Amino acid sequence: MSTATWLLPHLINGVALGLLFALIALGFMLIIGVMEVINLAHGSIFALGAYVALAIMAPDGGLPFAFMEPFYALPAWPRYAIALVVAPILVGAACMLLELCLRPTYGKDPLYGLLLTFGAALVIEEMIRVVWGSSEYYLPIPRDISGGFIFADLIYSTYRIYAAIFACAMIALLWFFLNRTPYGAVIKAGAHDNEMVRALGFNLSRLRLLVFAFGAGLAAIAGIIMAPIWGVRPVVGIDAVIPAFVIIVLGGVGSFWGAVTAGVLVGLAVALTAAFVPDWSMISMYLLLLAVVTFRPRGIAGRASILER
Amino acid sequence: MSDARNPVGRWITLPILASFAVFGTLPYWVEAVGLYQYLGLEIMVWVIFALGYNLLLGYGGLPSFGHGAFIGIGAYAFGVAQFHFIPNLWICLLAAIIITGLCGLAAALLVSRRRGIYFALMTIAIGQVFFFIASKWTSVTGGEDGLLNIQRLPVDFGLFSIDIQDTASLYYLAFALYAVVVVLLWRLVHSPFGRILGAIRQNEERVRFLGYNVFIYKAIAFILSTMVAGLAGGLFAMAQEGAYIQIMNLQWSGTVVLMTLIGGGLVSFWGPVFGVVLYFIARDILGAYTEAWLLWFGLMFMLLVMFKPEGLAGIWRDTVGGLVRRKPAAAPSPHPNQSPAE
Repeated sequence: MSTATWLLPHLINGVALGLLFALIALGFMLIIGVMEVINLAHGSIFALGAYVALAIMAPDGGLPFAFMEPFYALPAWPRYAIALVVAPILVGAACMLLELCLRPTYGKDPLYGLLLTFGAALVIEEMIRVVWGSSEYYLPIPRDISGGFIFADLIYSTYRIYAAIFACAMIALLWFFLNRTPYGAVIKAGAHDNEMVRALGFNLSRLRLLVFAFGAGLAAIAGIIMAPIWGVRPVVGIDAVIPAFVIIVLGGVGSFWGAVTAGVLVGLAVALTAAFVPDWSMISMYLLLLAVVTFRPRGIAGRASILER
Repeated sequence: MSDARNPVGRWITLPILASFAVFGTLPYWVEAVGLYQYLGLEIMVWVIFALGYNLLLGYGGLPSFGHGAFIGIGAYAFGVAQFHFIPNLWICLLAAIIITGLCGLAAALLVSRRRGIYFALMTIAIGQVFFFIASKWTSVTGGEDGLLNIQRLPVDFGLFSIDIQDTASLYYLAFALYAVVVVLLWRLVHSPFGRILGAIRQNEERVRFLGYNVFIYKAIAFILSTMVAGLAGGLFAMAQEGAYIQIMNLQWSGTVVLMTLIGGGLVSFWGPVFGVVLYFIARDILGAYTEAWLLWFGLMFMLLVMFKPEGLAGIWRDTVGGLVRRKPAAAPSPHPNQSPAE
């Protein structure tokens, strides 16, 4: 068997991972754009999404309320679909509270927003520990998308292919939303020039509240999709927020396709190093980052941004 | 700026003496107030680390989020020097400082052209690279197990040597080194170098147009702060009698930022000291009541960033400083871009 075919499952894993990273990074980037805040709590929100989905889906690790009992009796597919829709909405709504806390930091040194969200990350992670404890959970998924299949003597994970397709669809929807709807136009305008958006009569405070909730919701969706791959642990947030950072810097702030490209690059780098030198799989993305940023300070497709202030 | 009454420009000032009085007598009263000797030692080590870190954050305005790596490198370097070279305290501490400084130099070359959030992101990446190297380079660092059985080496003065096996004696070594570090740092931030660093924080472009090599100043500040971290790391290795990987992870790098900020490192030289003391006392007192003490500490931190970003030192200045203010005209403004004054 040639090396190329042997690599195929790893490449697919890498692309799936990269597209999910890109989804996290895009929500992160929306928040940077409209609020000029580096949301260090994004990883904790990602983890929270997985936990809330767990609470909705499973009797084990789920909500101990009696009214949930008939719901837990439903077959796996409807429960999964409902969790996938409801959990991000709940998380997004809860994160509106964080946006309200962020308001005093607007217009100041971006360092303050960064620090506030660092505090929020601690708080969210500790809340998760208080509610669910520190042990690891697995999000139950419908049988149709679990397991693996054999194609041309190689084992492929069904779930990762599903994850890649799902992430692709989400990214396409997001692109459509941002570029083909009036709401997207306002968000993009808000990222370009806050004052002008306000001057045109849009409610900037409400826009920020909604964009933050939307970005948080995207992180929560990514958290739910990633949960069966990474497991559900309180500390999983850091594993998610760091690639998002790396992707934003690699792809360039403000560039949609820059982030998607960088996401896939990072995913492939992680998956391929995992295939050849498993011990070093997580370091490869930092080396990629340091190499690219040393020679191209604004990343693949970046423009001048908040990050340089 | 340098008239005789002005504390700026002196080597020893009243707040420095006050800090010596408090920390110098700590082993005698720490148990009377219900705490324990090792806590004092931990506070001393982290105070040294945070003071060095604040050279970067408070004075240079450079938010490094990877500094935990350097205290870790200091601890490993101390252990390795002890095991493989000479088990002499001064040489091992010097090795910790120099090796950490060299790693700091490598990092500084990569990050010193950046500022703000880019600087933060690059330092996260570098900190993670050091973390992964330390966790995989098992033959030197012991990997996940860490370096065990690091000795508390006697303080050797040639003619005689002092044994520092018990925690109180090691505390006094840390205190002596703190005294040296605090005086040198105080002098440094009030030197022309410190002034230029403060100017870079306020407006980097303008400093560059004035003809200063901004890159060199930022790099030197970075390297000096990592050398102080190396010293703290060496002490930490002796305190823990080992060097472990946990200290290098991102969480601890964030914690030192949190300590420095919560104390008010942005407006005061003493901010990091307040912050470290508050952090460890909160850990012990809140930790006695609840497992989730970080939840409450994190909430407190969020409230502080929202309503009082100048931290404890800012609160101190507004309350105590407001009562005993002698020259109202010189009252510092709470503007976040102002360099820490005293």
